Amino acid sequence: MRDDVPNNTPPKYLLAAETAEGAVITLGSADSWEELLDLLAGQPENDGVPPMAYRLIRTAETEAAVKKKPRREYFANFRGAGGAGREDDGTESAPWWGLDHAAANLAARRFDDLPPLAVREWIRIRHKEPFTPGALERRKRIKEAVAEYVFLAMTAALVIPIVAILAYLVVKAWPALSFSFIFQNSEDSQAGGIWAPLVGTFFLVWISLIISAPIGVLAGVYLNEYARDNWFTRLINLAVVNLAGVPSIVHALFGVGAFVLAAGMGQSLLAASCTVAIMTLPVIIASTREALAAVPMAFREACWNLGATRWQTIRTLVLPNSISGILTGVILQVSRAAGETAPILFTGAALFTSFPYHLDQPFMALSMHLYAICTQLQGVSDSVQYGTAVVLIGLVLAVNGLSIGLRVYLRSRKKW
Amino acid sequence: MVNPIPPPELDLQTPRDGGPGGSVSSHVAFRNLTVRYGTKTALDGVNLEIPRQSIFAVIGPANSGKTTLLKCINRTIDFISSARVSGEILVDGGDVYRQWNVYELRRRVGMVFPLPVGLPMSVYNNVAYAPRRAGLHNRRELDALVESCLRRAMLWDEVQDRLDLLGTRLSGGQQQRLTLARALSLRPDILCLDEFSIAIDPVTTMRIEDILRELKSRMTIVLVTNLVQQARRLADYTAFFSAGRLVEVGPTEKLFTRPEQQLTERYINGDYG
Amino acid sequence: MTDGWRLFKRAAEWLIEAVVRLCGWSAILFIFAIFFFIFHKTWPLFAEGFDLREFLTSARWQPTSTVHPCYGILALLVGTLAVTGLAMALAVPLGLGAAVYLSEFAGGKTKEILKIVIELLATVPSVVWGFIGYMVLGPIIIAVTGAPVGVNLLNGGIILALMSVPVIVSVGEDALKAVPDSYREAALALGASRWEIVYRVLFPAAKSGLLAAVLLGVGRAIGETMAVLMATGHAAQIPHSLLDPICTLTATIAAELGEAPRDGTHYRVLFLIGVVLFVITFIVNLTADLVVKGIRTEKE
Ligand SMILES: Nc1ncnc2c1ncn2[C@@H]1O[C@H](COP(=O)(O)OP(=O)(O)OP(=O)(O)O)[C@@H](O)[C@H]1O
Ligand SMILES: [Mg+2]
Repeated sequence: MRDDVPNNTPPKYLLAAETAEGAVITLGSADSWEELLDLLAGQPENDGVPPMAYRLIRTAETEAAVKKKPRREYFANFRGAGGAGREDDGTESAPWWGLDHAAANLAARRFDDLPPLAVREWIRIRHKEPFTPGALERRKRIKEAVAEYVFLAMTAALVIPIVAILAYLVVKAWPALSFSFIFQNSEDSQAGGIWAPLVGTFFLVWISLIISAPIGVLAGVYLNEYARDNWFTRLINLAVVNLAGVPSIVHALFGVGAFVLAAGMGQSLLAASCTVAIMTLPVIIASTREALAAVPMAFREACWNLGATRWQTIRTLVLPNSISGILTGVILQVSRAAGETAPILFTGAALFTSFPYHLDQPFMALSMHLYAICTQLQGVSDSVQYGTAVVLIGLVLAVNGLSIGLRVYLRSRKKW
Repeated sequence: MVNPIPPPELDLQTPRDGGPGGSVSSHVAFRNLTVRYGTKTALDGVNLEIPRQSIFAVIGPANSGKTTLLKCINRTIDFISSARVSGEILVDGGDVYRQWNVYELRRRVGMVFPLPVGLPMSVYNNVAYAPRRAGLHNRRELDALVESCLRRAMLWDEVQDRLDLLGTRLSGGQQQRLTLARALSLRPDILCLDEFSIAIDPVTTMRIEDILRELKSRMTIVLVTNLVQQARRLADYTAFFSAGRLVEVGPTEKLFTRPEQQLTERYINGDYG
Repeated sequence: MTDGWRLFKRAAEWLIEAVVRLCGWSAILFIFAIFFFIFHKTWPLFAEGFDLREFLTSARWQPTSTVHPCYGILALLVGTLAVTGLAMALAVPLGLGAAVYLSEFAGGKTKEILKIVIELLATVPSVVWGFIGYMVLGPIIIAVTGAPVGVNLLNGGIILALMSVPVIVSVGEDALKAVPDSYREAALALGASRWEIVYRVLFPAAKSGLLAAVLLGVGRAIGETMAVLMATGHAAQIPHSLLDPICTLTATIAAELGEAPRDGTHYRVLFLIGVVLFVITFIVNLTADLVVKGIRTEKE
């Protein structure tokens, strides 16, 4: 304190601390900006709870009042020390490292385009714990969490009702589900007993598989291994894409026109199987291509370098290493074929026939049976209907689960 | 190490068809070979003769077309759809695009590319793959063949107890040696090595180099390398390529001690490239 | 190995390659065959001077009327569009949201399980969905809205939405996955949050893939037969509210082909509807395919 300054006049500069409770405590006073910064730098490094912020204040000669808002806000890590040489600018993302660092930077006024504090102005230096999120990051994080929950809710809005519905189906079907329900035939299809349609579906799936698997797999081999990138290949790809997109009922019309009538098969197991086969072809083609494409090109080139022909390479290297992926696709086809109704509606499925099935005779299928007992026949008990639906879903899911299981298993024993 | 017997000085840039000009007909010959990838010219009017039973090194800075040259010999360049080849490539005097059945050609030309590729099958099957495709099924013969190839590739000691290990599970250097063993499995007449040693440790590389000197009596070895010293150690003849052109070719000793072209001198001294 | 054996193997290989080629070309053959056989059945209609304009613009669908049969498919078209539109309005936001969640937020086990669940959903047969609409959702709709019938536009829309979601989710997720990680990393390095990455980086980069996902969903919905047949009430009228029963192109064929006398006008008109459906889905799929191609060429 200088003697010539009267004791009752307030000092020109004040250093104050803000505590966590919100109080502002004056720590000391100074006559000049430089002295104030020295005071700041001299504050003990607080290992316990540091103050929330320091205030560098310039007051009027006569009154201590200051403006409400600080002129600038800076950030510093109060617990840090030895920030000399660091290039921090006192922002939240690059806080000064320790109070002396802060003081040095403020003295150099390297980052401050402002003139020194005017009367009644002040600067706040806030504590910034290192490696903790700043305000911007906190806001971002909240946004991110909100976004995550919104998207999660959307996903849940899809998955939960469907799972609930499936559970509901099972509950309603429970009374009907029994060994005899599945493995016996009923005389009049009223009392349950779905063995005949189950067997029909089995035949349908296998016959269509026998037709579509070889064609589909070889077509996939052609597209991935032989086809060059030219207009013709693009045309084939286009055809495959569209074949996949043709509505199932249009496939049914095609089946009627081509197999039932033109080929003279009549409404029969064979005609229905052919129709379903063509319908599931694109699934097999696509998954075969995917499986083949997963075999790295370098392997093929290594074989070609050794004088192996294209087909030798495919047979000895490409197919053995992709067979499982191909199988996955074929199984997927099975599950799809088992559930289809529209394409067999007019090509061979019947409301009621009896064993044994013949290739050239109509047959019963589980999907058709469900459609029939639900909308065509009167007086079938609810539980039988639900039971049939549950068995159909169970069948399809089981087959599909098999394919997923296969895929997971194979991924676990990848060869490269 | 310097070759004890200096190779004969031959003019390797003008055609020698075993006619009156020279007594030795070359094993591989390029006549005015030009290769373009789309609009980019990778090889430009190359005339080169590769003598029989020699180690022939090809050196040059990156992108000078060395790999492209090898791909022409066994026609793997065909797999690159943008590549256009003109000129003649003769193997044993036969044009690879006319007289040769391409599969037969590839069996006669062993090829090792820089990226190690272990096929996803056992080590044994990796080596036995090509002989089987070519019709060798006798188990005893196969066993002997696999062993000799793996020994030559300096891999036998490491894998002899684990021949059923997947080829893709070997280490990078091991896979590269496996690639070499595969290339040897058909007892090729011509062995093309493209930077075969980049993934192999120096000691093993030295041993393989010794083997290559041995193999020279049985096959012609074309060695593409970025290691100038490797070419100097190993090769009888060296060709220097730059930007798709053959700059200079001649006996290795001469090329390294008395290069005719300034570019060559700068490259082997490390000033250029 | 004898020369004969070698020759035999050559020939066998040639034969195999020929078969492979033939199978490869078969897809084109089938597409043409489908178009030919369906179109072939409708041909006599045009010979008879069938009124194509009335077919496309009239809303009167009374094919079984003995006095004056009418074959206007406008109501069916509107029905198809309405139910598809409703389904998409429900499925697209949810489906894309789920795709984003799966590809950007979910991790580890959750992701695996959700993906499997969605994949399994894709295989629930359409007749089961129809059954659900008819037996489960119908009564719920009656109870909630007081509508006289539960099988109507709303019911069909919800069922179709649930059916098309798996396609949208999986194709959408693929599209998001196809955005190179370097984009994400670049954005992360600039301090963007994951949410910002989603809507500033991923949506713009993946927009054509997401569009393709939506289009494939649309194609799926337009072509769906059994579910709409069972869940929409089958009434050939232009709907005025969500609770009106409707009829779609696909459902009409499925419901009436069995009863229509073979080679009668009704029968042929049903095939003509098949042609219309074929053309519509062809266009939708072609567009989706071109959009996907567009992405690919952009990447190169
Ligand atoms: N598949 C390809 N498509 C297009 N251009 C190619 C292809 N392969 C090589 N090139 C081009 O041909 C030129 C010669 O390539 P090449 O691989 O023969 O060089 P190199 O001498 O083997 O180089 P390095 O020493 O780096 O292996 C290069 O400019 C390269 O860009
Ligand atoms: Mg190279």
